[in-house]
Amino acid sequence: MSIVWSNFFVQLVSFAILFWLLSRFAFKPLFSVMEKRRQLVQEQMESAQNNRTDAERLIEEQKQALQQARKEAYDIIEQAKTTGSKQADEIVLAARNESNRIKEDAIRDIETEKNKAVAALKAQVSGLSVLIASKIIEKQVDEQSQKQLVDQYLQDVGNKS
Amino acid sequence: MTKGVKNDNMEHLAPLIEIGGIEFDLAAIMMVVISSLVVFIIARLAVRNLSVENPGKLQNFIEWVVEFVQGIIGQTMDYKKGRPYLALGLTLILYIFVSNMLGLPFSIITEAHGSHIPTVFGQELIVKGEHEHLAWAWWKSPTADAAMTMALALIVIVLSHIQGLRHNTKHYLKHYTHNPNLVFLPIHLIEIVSKPLTLGLRLFGNIFAGEVMIGVILGMGWVGIPAMLVWQGFSIFVGAIQSFVFTMLTMVYISQSIVHEEDH
Repeated sequence: MSIVWSNFFVQLVSFAILFWLLSRFAFKPLFSVMEKRRQLVQEQMESAQNNRTDAERLIEEQKQALQQARKEAYDIIEQAKTTGSKQADEIVLAARNESNRIKEDAIRDIETEKNKAVAALKAQVSGLSVLIASKIIEKQVDEQSQKQLVDQYLQDVGNKS
Repeated sequence: MTKGVKNDNMEHLAPLIEIGGIEFDLAAIMMVVISSLVVFIIARLAVRNLSVENPGKLQNFIEWVVEFVQGIIGQTMDYKKGRPYLALGLTLILYIFVSNMLGLPFSIITEAHGSHIPTVFGQELIVKGEHEHLAWAWWKSPTADAAMTMALALIVIVLSHIQGLRHNTKHYLKHYTHNPNLVFLPIHLIEIVSKPLTLGLRLFGNIFAGEVMIGVILGMGWVGIPAMLVWQGFSIFVGAIQSFVFTMLTMVYISQSIVHEEDH
């Protein structure tokens, strides 16, 4: 095994040429593509992270909105319940008042009608009694004085009864 | 060929020619060119249709190699500092791996007819010493040649010293005399010499021994077929490991000279 020294320089030069060729025509584009992919992956990861935070924020907002809506619905129901019972009370009160008023009116009407009927009865009774008396006594009495007499009498009866 | 191997005096010569007083090893030059071409063609094919989102098979392969070398760099130094050496590491690992593999599958031997010495480019092949039977081996791993591997090793070691001087001047110079003190200067000087020697000769030794062993097994005839299978597999393994080791040590040496650690 003898060493050929020219091989040393042949290898030196050829390796330098190979290194330059590879760097220029193979590694340069390859590294740039790998760098691009790295950036792409990083961008996608960042956007995924952003999307996730956005989604979480939206969910939180939705939760709050839901909570708000629930609370409002509860309030509305509560309000409706109180107004409802209040209105019911009012209606009942109004009805009671109305009924009382109607009752009182009725009593008053009854009273007036009774008085009217009593007055009419009195008038008729006096007429009839005059007729009866005149028939019985068969004595011509002045109708005017007769009437006064009967009235006097009825008054007395009324006072006694 | 079997006849030649059976002849104990048989030795495959390197096809040397002399131009301008300098001996050139035609087989070595051819193999260097072929290895470089194979590496370059593979790399070019791999980056032919580069795609960010949908890489092809070869692109995936070359990216796996890139990430492998990035891993080697990341293990030995801060990756940000080692980033400029990525292309060097890639070239080394691809070139050495392809070189190691090339010598394995077959060999090309030319034999001389009688005493007639063939000529190449009008130059007679040089024959040193006495040989009963002249035969030249044309196909071998470039890395099975000590001068070739030493060239690679020197590139790496010289680069590491230059980068140490450029980027880590103060501590690089200081570490010779102050690590831990002046008494250790000879050891550092020995290290300067031993680093390229071990780096180059380790690669050469492994690959050369592998090819010698293939020659020995060939001499066993058909009995050697199982041994050949085993040894070819082992040689592929050794070739891969050696290309990894060479690249790894390159990065280790570079990091040793450019990275400044506080406890130095």
